[in-house]
Amino acid sequence: MSISSIVAPSRRSFLKTSAVGAAALTLPAPFIKRAYGQSRNTMVFGSGEPLTGNWDPTSHTVLSQINLEGYVMGQLFRTPMKPEDPTEIVWELATGQKIVDLYTIEYSLRDGVTFHDGKKFGAEDVKATFEYASSPGRPAAWYPGECEVEIVDDLTVRVHTKKGNYPAAAFYFLAGFLPIMSAKDIADPATLQGRPNGTGPFKFAEQRGNTTVLKAFDGYMHGKPLLEEVHFSYIGDATTRVLALLSGEIDVTERLEPEQYDSLSGESKVTLSRTVSTENKYLHFRCDKPPFDNPKLRLAACHAIDRDQILGVMGAAGEASNNYMSPVKFGYTDLPNYPTYDPAKCQELLAEAGFPNGQGLPEMEFFTSMGFYPKTKEYGEVIAAMLQEQGFPIKFTVMETAAWGARLYQQAGQPSYGDMVDCGWSTGSPEPDLVLRSMFYSKAGPKGGLINGVQDPEIDAALNAEQAEPDPDKRLALVAQAAEAVAAKAPSLSLFTSVLLHGYRTGLEGLVFYPNGPIDASKASFKA
Amino acid sequence: MGFILTFLARRLAQGLLIVLVVSFAIFALVRMAPGDPARTILGGMASDELVEQTAREMGLRDPIIVQYGRYLAGILQGDFGTSYIKSESGGASMGNQDQIRSARASVGSLIGSTLPYTLQLAGLALLITLVVSIPIGIAGGVHAGRWQDKFAVYLSSVFVSLPNFWFAIVLALVVTAKLGWIPSIGYQGFAYTILPAIVIAVEMSPIFIRSLSVSVADTLRQTFVEVAAVRGLGPRRILYGHVLRNAAVPILNLFGVQVGALLGGVLIVEYIFDYPGIGLLTVQAVTQRDFPVIQGVAILSSAIFVVVNILVDLAAARIDPRLES
Repeated sequence: MSISSIVAPSRRSFLKTSAVGAAALTLPAPFIKRAYGQSRNTMVFGSGEPLTGNWDPTSHTVLSQINLEGYVMGQLFRTPMKPEDPTEIVWELATGQKIVDLYTIEYSLRDGVTFHDGKKFGAEDVKATFEYASSPGRPAAWYPGECEVEIVDDLTVRVHTKKGNYPAAAFYFLAGFLPIMSAKDIADPATLQGRPNGTGPFKFAEQRGNTTVLKAFDGYMHGKPLLEEVHFSYIGDATTRVLALLSGEIDVTERLEPEQYDSLSGESKVTLSRTVSTENKYLHFRCDKPPFDNPKLRLAACHAIDRDQILGVMGAAGEASNNYMSPVKFGYTDLPNYPTYDPAKCQELLAEAGFPNGQGLPEMEFFTSMGFYPKTKEYGEVIAAMLQEQGFPIKFTVMETAAWGARLYQQAGQPSYGDMVDCGWSTGSPEPDLVLRSMFYSKAGPKGGLINGVQDPEIDAALNAEQAEPDPDKRLALVAQAAEAVAAKAPSLSLFTSVLLHGYRTGLEGLVFYPNGPIDASKASFKA
Repeated sequence: MGFILTFLARRLAQGLLIVLVVSFAIFALVRMAPGDPARTILGGMASDELVEQTAREMGLRDPIIVQYGRYLAGILQGDFGTSYIKSESGGASMGNQDQIRSARASVGSLIGSTLPYTLQLAGLALLITLVVSIPIGIAGGVHAGRWQDKFAVYLSSVFVSLPNFWFAIVLALVVTAKLGWIPSIGYQGFAYTILPAIVIAVEMSPIFIRSLSVSVADTLRQTFVEVAAVRGLGPRRILYGHVLRNAAVPILNLFGVQVGALLGGVLIVEYIFDYPGIGLLTVQAVTQRDFPVIQGVAILSSAIFVVVNILVDLAAARIDPRLES
């Protein structure tokens, strides 16, 4: 016998070894639990963003946490924000609202509602919530300013906005986005931050690593949900979320890439949802410094950009719009003066600005993020190429999200970073001021608009006029005029409206997707 | 015994120096990277004043050497610091200006809760690697130039050509999503370790297979093997007692080096499979500028690397006493 013969098996020993190997392969079987192990009464949601770990709804502006609050927290009303009727209101903790005068709005509240901790909901909770959340120190500055709340009776409150010097009509749509907290929790910040407590269909049960476990709330005002549990799981990678959906580890995933949306369209196991969102994506010009402190140069850049090409890159994830706000917002209209692709007009404006064919322009840095919004690098390259074609000396920089975020906003006492930046703005209400005033009002940030830094008296006057109008019908026209005033100066160019792409398990029925991200699962169930 | 003690003392001192150098390099490099952790924690809309105040409170504006000294002093007391981002409740404090510092998770607890998963994954990956590599590698070495050798070469070539991220996605898509045989996304039991371990094993196996083949083939050509039969030794005794024993030393050293590759592979594989180990924790920490977690993981990784290599050297000396000299 040679050494070779030891490791050159005979047919018999080969068969014997194969049989032993096959048997060995079955050994892990008892440890292998098939996927689809979740109970059919549990819905697992795959979130693309982590939660903050602080459950005070006024402490953050993090989209994933807003999504989770959608299951747990109650609101005075909800606004489904469908393109065919952006102003629809679905009453929840309130049963009606009435503008009493310029600085007063009254809410009638629903009787018989309880918080998850058993406390009865009433006027004191609305008072505590509005006064606490509108105080100047709260980080999530959703409120237009400070307000005071008068308790008329247990189920009636009047919100007074004189203290903050803004019209009470500002709450007409906005109140449909503000989570109502328990007065008892607000009095105890540690409790408020330590666990979520609301009146929504699901109550917080526990945190398991990256998964937040919610259980159906027996005392929900519209009846106990059909689903027993909702698991809210953070899975950072988009591909992993899709694989998890296909394998049955999760039931719903958000933020599908356009290619994933297309490829999943043939999957029988998956149902797709495409929702026009409240978010528009913008190219912001840094108006606080040369060269984009010149409106003609900004308009020239706008006319150099063919937004149809950008939409081609975005595919299913983009929706054409011709305004600074989404079509699901109150007051949306296709603006007659919205900048369109017009190279001749671009050259004309460049010449008027003193830079014929772009000659004399300094190098301009256009920076964007990668990994947060879909396709930013791809369509950013398209924008840079189109601007370069018209003579703009563009330097295109793609940053990792944290580095981009650190340079995004205008800061007091220092020049803004770069000359152009790509960013989206998503809000949870049809209220147009959440976009228009944040982006374009001279007092929104330390140097004007929060990102572009624009300060323009004509834009300010138009924004103040629409905000001061309490009659929604009359305000509609004023909002359009304000948006036209912005378009005439082009401190930013809205490129398109984002579309929320969700995928969920076929057989899961009754989900309602809101255009700002949250999902209503109170009527959802798995079909038998 | 005297050799072992001297050896251990010398290698532990060297190892400590390596860990210190690595920890300082990581400590300094993460602070030079763009992106202020105070800004990340507070969110983009927080004022510069608040960011500066928070950064000063966190000691981020002190000179790096001062920060490092403070960090080392903490480690000596068993305190690896607290995460900038992760909270005890399991969330992340990004974009949150109210976060209570005491509510943030300690790096020790984060590592402690994720390390067992990674050790399980690494252990299974290593087991699969050895089960695949040893028979194929030995057969290839013993039958140099024949089909067993060619098979070892071709298999290694195929394995080494598979990018781990691609292979991971394909495995999860086919085996988990399409066929539904083995679950792999997230973790709800031991079965979730199998596919990630296979991906890492496929990444590590080619080097073991080729090294084992070459090492066995070389040893077989040594004079002491050629004359062993003349000395009356049987083929099994020659193979197991002499050939494999001598071929094992280079493989052991290779194993020590491959621990680094194993740790690197774990990062990508855990992220793709959403496997809740050290790798996923590290990727999240890097994207969120969570300096204390990055540092803690770097120190842990370098310590594992050093300890494994010391053990490898001891084992090699045990197998081949000539190495003691």
